[in-house]
Amino acid sequence: MSHKEDAPVSDIPSGNKDPSTSDQNKVKKMSQSDNSSSASSVTRTSSSSAPSRAPKPPQTSPLQPPATQPSTAPKPATVSSMPAKKESEAPAFEKGLVSQILSRFGDRVRVAYIRPLRIKIYVDPADIIEVATFLRDTMGFDHAESASGTDYPKDNQIEVIYHLSSNTREGLYSQVLALSTRTGRDDARLPSLINVYKSVEYHERETFEMLGVYFEGHPRNERFLLPEDWADIPPLRKDFRIKGR
Amino acid sequence: MSTYPEKFRFGEFVGSIVWLVFIILILVTLIGLPLIFVVLFYAPLPPVGDQVLTPYLFLSMTVDPTRTLPIIKYFIHTDLFRIAAFPGFSYAALFAAVTIFVERKFLAKMQLRVGPLYAGKIEGIFQLLADGLKLVSKEIIVPSGADKPIFWAAPIAFVATAAAVTTLIPVAPGWVAANINVGLLAVFAILGFFPLIALLFSWASNSKYPFIGGLRALHQMIAFEIPFILSALSVVILAGSLNLTEIVNSQISSNWYILFLPISAFVFYISSLAELERIPFDLPEAESEIVAGWLTETSGMIYGLIQLGSYIKTYALAALFVVLFLGGWAGPVIFPAELTPGYTGVRIYNAITASAIFWFTIKTFGMIMLMLLPRGINPRIRIDILLHTGWYKLIVLAFINMFVALALVYGGILGPGGLLVR
Amino acid sequence: MTTIEDKIEESKKLGMQIVKESEDDRLMTLSVGPQHPGSGHFRFVIKVDGDYIVYCDPDPGYVHRGDEKMCEYRNVIQNIPHLERPVIHDSNNITYSYSLAVEELVGIEVPRRGQFIRAIASELNRQVYTLYWLAIYGIFLGHSTMFMWPAGDRELFIDLLEALTGARVTHAFNIPGGVRNDIPEGFKDRCLRNVGYFEKRLKEYEDIFYNNPLFRQRTEGVGILQKEDAIKLGVTGSVLRASGVPYDIRKVEPYDVYNEIDFNVQYMRTGDSFARSYVPFLDMKESCHIIRQLLDKMPKSGEVRAKLQPNPKGPPNEAYRRVESGRGALGYYVVSDGTPKPYRVKISVGSFRNILALPFLLVGSRMADMPSIYWSLNYWPVEADR
Repeated sequence: MSHKEDAPVSDIPSGNKDPSTSDQNKVKKMSQSDNSSSASSVTRTSSSSAPSRAPKPPQTSPLQPPATQPSTAPKPATVSSMPAKKESEAPAFEKGLVSQILSRFGDRVRVAYIRPLRIKIYVDPADIIEVATFLRDTMGFDHAESASGTDYPKDNQIEVIYHLSSNTREGLYSQVLALSTRTGRDDARLPSLINVYKSVEYHERETFEMLGVYFEGHPRNERFLLPEDWADIPPLRKDFRIKGR
Repeated sequence: MSTYPEKFRFGEFVGSIVWLVFIILILVTLIGLPLIFVVLFYAPLPPVGDQVLTPYLFLSMTVDPTRTLPIIKYFIHTDLFRIAAFPGFSYAALFAAVTIFVERKFLAKMQLRVGPLYAGKIEGIFQLLADGLKLVSKEIIVPSGADKPIFWAAPIAFVATAAAVTTLIPVAPGWVAANINVGLLAVFAILGFFPLIALLFSWASNSKYPFIGGLRALHQMIAFEIPFILSALSVVILAGSLNLTEIVNSQISSNWYILFLPISAFVFYISSLAELERIPFDLPEAESEIVAGWLTETSGMIYGLIQLGSYIKTYALAALFVVLFLGGWAGPVIFPAELTPGYTGVRIYNAITASAIFWFTIKTFGMIMLMLLPRGINPRIRIDILLHTGWYKLIVLAFINMFVALALVYGGILGPGGLLVR
Repeated sequence: MTTIEDKIEESKKLGMQIVKESEDDRLMTLSVGPQHPGSGHFRFVIKVDGDYIVYCDPDPGYVHRGDEKMCEYRNVIQNIPHLERPVIHDSNNITYSYSLAVEELVGIEVPRRGQFIRAIASELNRQVYTLYWLAIYGIFLGHSTMFMWPAGDRELFIDLLEALTGARVTHAFNIPGGVRNDIPEGFKDRCLRNVGYFEKRLKEYEDIFYNNPLFRQRTEGVGILQKEDAIKLGVTGSVLRASGVPYDIRKVEPYDVYNEIDFNVQYMRTGDSFARSYVPFLDMKESCHIIRQLLDKMPKSGEVRAKLQPNPKGPPNEAYRRVESGRGALGYYVVSDGTPKPYRVKISVGSFRNILALPFLLVGSRMADMPSIYWSLNYWPVEADR
C-alpha cells in the first residue's frame, strides 16, 4: 500500500486526466519517491522487479483523503525490462493486455474491471476454453493460481473465477488476470479447463465438491477435501448454513 | 480412564490382598517347601572345597566369609553362571541398559538438548526403568490374521539369538561361555539368523509395511554379510585360528590387528552398523518411508524384547570388533595383586582377570560409543546406494586388506614365527 | 460363500470402487497416511512395483475445517484469529494478505511504521515456519540432529515474536489497518542479537546437513521438476524457485515496504529435491538481511495502525492480494457485498498448488525417495485443507 504519512506529497496537478486511475497514480508516485529516496534500493536480483504498483480499488473510500493528481512520476530506481513501466500510464499496460484480448474476441469478452496489476474479464461458458487457450498461448498466462467459485442465489448463478498468472514472461509476473464465467445454479455445468491449464486440476475438484459445479471433461469430479460420506448440499453454496449460525 | 467397581471399599480391597498373601503362604508351606526338600534329598549336590554342599552348609556359609568365598567361586565357574550372568546374558543386558541410557544422553548433548532428566534424581538414570515398566504394562496387540505362533516366538528368538552371540565372546582369559574352535564361524552363523527372524516376523504380522521392512532386512543382510565375513577373514589369516581366544592371544603376542588391517576394521565397522540396522543403515525400520519397517506391528513388551535384543547385539558386535581388531582384553595390569598389602587369606580376586575385564569393558564401551556416533550426524541411506556400497565398495576394500594380510604372513612378518611375533 | 467377483459386483452397485490386488501380483497398494509417520495429516495412495512407485493419488482433507465458509459468518476483524489456524507456524503471513485484501476493499491506509512492523513480523514468522519445515525434513531423512537443531533455534524467533505480539505461535497480529500493537522497548537490540546468532547457526546447518554426502546422495538428482513442468503445474514458492524461476511475490509485486528493501531472489536451476530443500535455506539467510534492513529503516515513531470504524465495510467489490509466505504465494480472493461480513473468501495457498506436483514426481521414483520428494514440496497439509 502507499505511504501517505511519510511520503512527500506533491500537489502539482498532472496532465493525466484518467479519473479512474488518478488515485493509484498518486499512490504509485509516492511509493516510487520513497523508493528513489532510499539510497540502497538498487536491487541485486536477477529477476526484474516491478515497482510498487499496489492495486487499489477505483472507488474512493471515506477514510481516504481526496486524491491529488501527480504530475510526472520520478523514474523508478529499479531497472526492469517490463514494458509500460511509466507510472503516469500505469494501467496502460493492463489496458494493452485487455485490448489485445478484445481485439481477438470482441463482444464475447466483457471486461469487469481494469486495475493496476489486476484485470477481470467475463466470458460465456461456451467460449471459456477458446479464451483460455488464447490467454495461454498468445498472452503468456501460463498457469492458474486458483480456481474458485462464488454462489449468487439472487441471480440464481454461480460464478467460477480463474486467477491466471504467468511465470514465463517477466513482464507479466505481477499481473493477475481473473477469467470468470457464470453458470446456472440448478444444473451447474461448466467445461473444464484442465486441458488448457493442468494446474486447475485440484482447484476444479475442490470447486466441484464445494459448489457443486460439474466440470465437463475433468477426469475426476470426485470428493477431495470433504469426507467420503458427505451427504449434504455443497457447503459453499449460500443455502448451506453452518449449524448454530 | 479408570473405572471403580460400584461397591468399592478400600477395606475390602486390602482384605483381598491379605487373603491372597495368606493363601500363597499356605501353598508354599504345604507344597513348595516339601518339594524343595525332596529335590535336595535326591539331587546330587556338588562338592565345594573339600565337602559336599548341603543346605546346612550353604546356610552356614552365608554367615562366615571365609566359607562363603569357595561357594561363590564354585558358582561363578559353572556353565550356567557363564551363560546367564557374567560373560553371557546379564553382562550383555547390563551393557545394553547402559548403552540405551548413554545413547540418549550422548545424542541429547549432541543435539543441544538435555535428554532424560526427571526420572531419578541424577540426570534421569531411572528413565530406562520407567520405559521398561511402561512397556511391560502395555497391551500387546496381535494383528488379526497374524501367524500367532511365529508372531509370539520371533521376539523371544531375537533376544535368544542375540544372547547366543554373547556366549561366544571371550571377555578375559578363560572367561568365555563356549570356547569352541570355530568361534568366529559360529558367530557369523548365529548372526545369519537375524534377518531370518525379521523376515519371519514381518511375514507373520500379516501387514504390508512390515513385509517391505523384512525384505529390506534380507537384502541388507545379503549385501553386507559377505564384506563382514571377508573383513574378519583377514584377521583369521593373521591369527591362524578361528578360535576367538586364540585370536586375542595372537594379538597379545604381536600387536593389535587394527594397526595392520585398518581397512578391514573400517569395513567391519560399517558392516556391523548395517547388521545392527542403525542409522545410517536403519532401512528395515525407516519410519518416514515404511512406518517402522518390520517392527510396525510390535507393541508392548514384544517391542521391548526386540529393542533389548538389538542392544545386546550392539554389545556383541562391538565386543567382536574389540576381539578381532583391538586386542581383546590386552592391556597393562592395573589392579594390585592384593587389596590390602600383606593379606594372606583366601584370594578374593584375580588381578590379571580383573584388569582384563576392565580393559575389555573400556574398549567395548568406546566401540559402542563409536557405533552410536553416526546416528547424530547422518541421515538414512537409500537402499540402492546401500546395496551398491555393500556389493561394490566394501567387498573390494575387504579383499584389498586380505591381500595385505596374506603379504604379511607370507613375508614372514606376522603369522607363526613372524618377525613381529614375540 | 460369496466369491470375490460377487463382492466386486455388489460394491459396484453401491458405487464403490474396489481394485483387485490379485489382478497384478507385482503391484502392492500402500496407503501412506494419515497415521503414517511420513505424511502428516494427509494421505496418498501409492502402488509400488518392487521399489518403484507406479501410481500415486493424493487424498487431502483430513483437517478440512471450512475456513472459507466460516469467513462468511464473521466480520472482517473477527476473521483474523481463525484464519491463522491453517498454518499456525506462519500465522503472520496468512493473515497478511487477508489484511491487504480487506484494506483494499475497505480503503484503509496503513501507517508507515505499521507497515514496517508488519514486514518484520512476517519475516520473523517465515523463519519460524522454515525452521519447522527444515526440522521435519531432517527427520524425514532420518537425521535426528537436523530435527532438534532447527526445532530448538526456532525458539529464537518465537521469543522475539512473543515479545512483539504476546503469543508464541498464534499471533493474530496483522489486522486490517496495521498491526495490533507497537514494538516493545529494546526489541531492536534483541532482534539483532538473535539474528546474528542465528546466522552463525546457519553455517553449522550447512556443515552437518547440506554438505553431508549421504544427504546429497539422497536428494541430488531425485524428483527433478523441470522448469516447464513447474510452470505448467502452477507450483509456487521454493518449489518454483528451485526449478529456475526467480519468482518471489516480495520482489515481483512488492507489498507494503518491500520495494525499499534490497534483497535477492534466491533460486536454483536443478529442480531436484536438493534444490527444493536448499532454496528455503537460502531464503532464511536472505531473510536475516531483510530483517536488519527493516529494523534500520523503520521510522522511530508514529502510529502503527489506522483508526477503524467499528464494523469496517466498503462498497461491493472484490480484491485479490498475494504475499510471499513460507510456502510460496499466498493469495486471498475476497468478495464483498457491502456488508461488514465478506461475501466470499477464497484462500489460494501455496500448499494446495504444490501438491499437484506430488503424483507427477513420485510416479517413477523409488519408494525410499518418497519422503525426500514429498516434504521438499513444502506442503503443509493443514493449510492445503483449510
